[in-house]
Amino acid sequence: MRVFLYSCQIALKNIVSEKWINFLTILSISVGLLLLTSYLTITLNIDTVIKRWGTGFGMVVYLDDGLSLETKETIKELLKQDSDILELKYVSSDEALKELREVLGNRSSILESMEANPLPSSFELKLKREALDPIYIEQKAARIKEMTGIEDVQYGEKWLSSLNTISVVMQAIALILGVAIFIAIAFITYSTIKVLFYRRKEEIETLKLLGATRSFIKMPFLIEGFLIGGVSGIISALSLFALYRFTVLKFVQFLPSIRGLLVSLPVEAYIAIPFAGALMSLTGSFFATGRIRY
Amino acid sequence: MIQFSNVSKFYDEQIVLKDISFNVEKGDLVYLTGPSGAGKTTLLKLIYRAEHPDDGQILVAGWDVAKLRQKTIPFLRRNVGIVFQDFRLLPNKTAFDNIAIALRIQGLDSRLINERVNDALNDVGLKHKSHALSQHLSGGEQQRVVIGRAMVSKPTVLLADEPTGNLDSETADIVIKLFKEINARGTTVLIATHNRELFMTSGRRVIFLRDSAIEKDMIP
Repeated sequence: MRVFLYSCQIALKNIVSEKWINFLTILSISVGLLLLTSYLTITLNIDTVIKRWGTGFGMVVYLDDGLSLETKETIKELLKQDSDILELKYVSSDEALKELREVLGNRSSILESMEANPLPSSFELKLKREALDPIYIEQKAARIKEMTGIEDVQYGEKWLSSLNTISVVMQAIALILGVAIFIAIAFITYSTIKVLFYRRKEEIETLKLLGATRSFIKMPFLIEGFLIGGVSGIISALSLFALYRFTVLKFVQFLPSIRGLLVSLPVEAYIAIPFAGALMSLTGSFFATGRIRY
Repeated sequence: MIQFSNVSKFYDEQIVLKDISFNVEKGDLVYLTGPSGAGKTTLLKLIYRAEHPDDGQILVAGWDVAKLRQKTIPFLRRNVGIVFQDFRLLPNKTAFDNIAIALRIQGLDSRLINERVNDALNDVGLKHKSHALSQHLSGGEQQRVVIGRAMVSKPTVLLADEPTGNLDSETADIVIKLFKEINARGTTVLIATHNRELFMTSGRRVIFLRDSAIEKDMIP
């Protein structure tokens, strides 16, 4: 514990005495973290919009002709048991025809030539947002289709797939960007700590000859890296918040209807930014101090 | 306390020490001498494992030095106080801090560090220079800080490499007197020097090195 406190003291002194190189390092890491967190905020907003579009995603279950009332009730009860279904509405073939007439308007006369109503009765289902996974929905549709009395099941496969693709691509970019920035930050800290380590090479040699352990020699550099990353993270989190507020303000000026739609990263994420920065820098410092040999 | 048994050391095929054997008993003060390049500094470095012997066995305060693992070496060095020829003081640190570092690396309590560093500063007569930066001290004062640093951790063995090499005769006398005081407290002292005046009238044991081997081991 005493060695740790002493190392903290040395690390703080080193940060102050090498203020310019440390300042530039902090600035670089802050920009890197700001880029990453800004992208995450954009991704979060796009994801929110996608989920908003997905609210009330529908599926239409067409029934066979001539089903008895009991069979229809049985199907309804079975569908109701599915926890992914938010709402369920029965549409008779007559109602479907009526709706079609309304849609066609003046051109509804084309329906007059038909001898019988060709439209089947159906159940219109509204699904939960959480269930909007293309594969999951496809499997669900297939299961419903296998039920007795079901003629067909239709839903917006392409639309759902496109939304999902956008979401997956955004997440993949976030992951790649995250890894790239992690490496960049670790490398920036690695370079800085390596330079500082070499500047104190003579001192380190003396400490080794006096009986200092590897951890005693390395600890101030690790703490220095941790603090540099942490401070960069705090600056980045504050900048992100300021940038978010500024963007919201500007957007609302031009598009007042967007008020309340833009979302920020959760508080937990803001708190995590300094820790993420500290962890990335600590990794760089760890490799910079290398393996000390006696 | 220090035991060399058939120790040899080579640098790139060139022999530096050849089949060296000697013992230094606990509480002895021994001089090690010889012309430049005779291997004095290398012999001291072998004791605190800054160099690894190519052959033979070295025992220091019970440690088999050649067989030490990397992570154990610091603990040997804490038992061996070293007065370096080039001082090796930490720049931009005060005399106090330079001595205290030997205790800080051992994780000692601040109160105890203060007490022992002040005692060491008193012993080397530099209490009044406690807050002076090392680079602002004279050569003799720097040498005394180095001695203070070497003795503050109360090592069992104290090694000195040409401790009077850069000092005038008056300051050299003060430094040698310090070594004798440290030795009188029970610390084994080994001083490498080429200054004959230091040991010829000392009545102490002297090991003479020449051409990488022990030429004489005697009390002049």
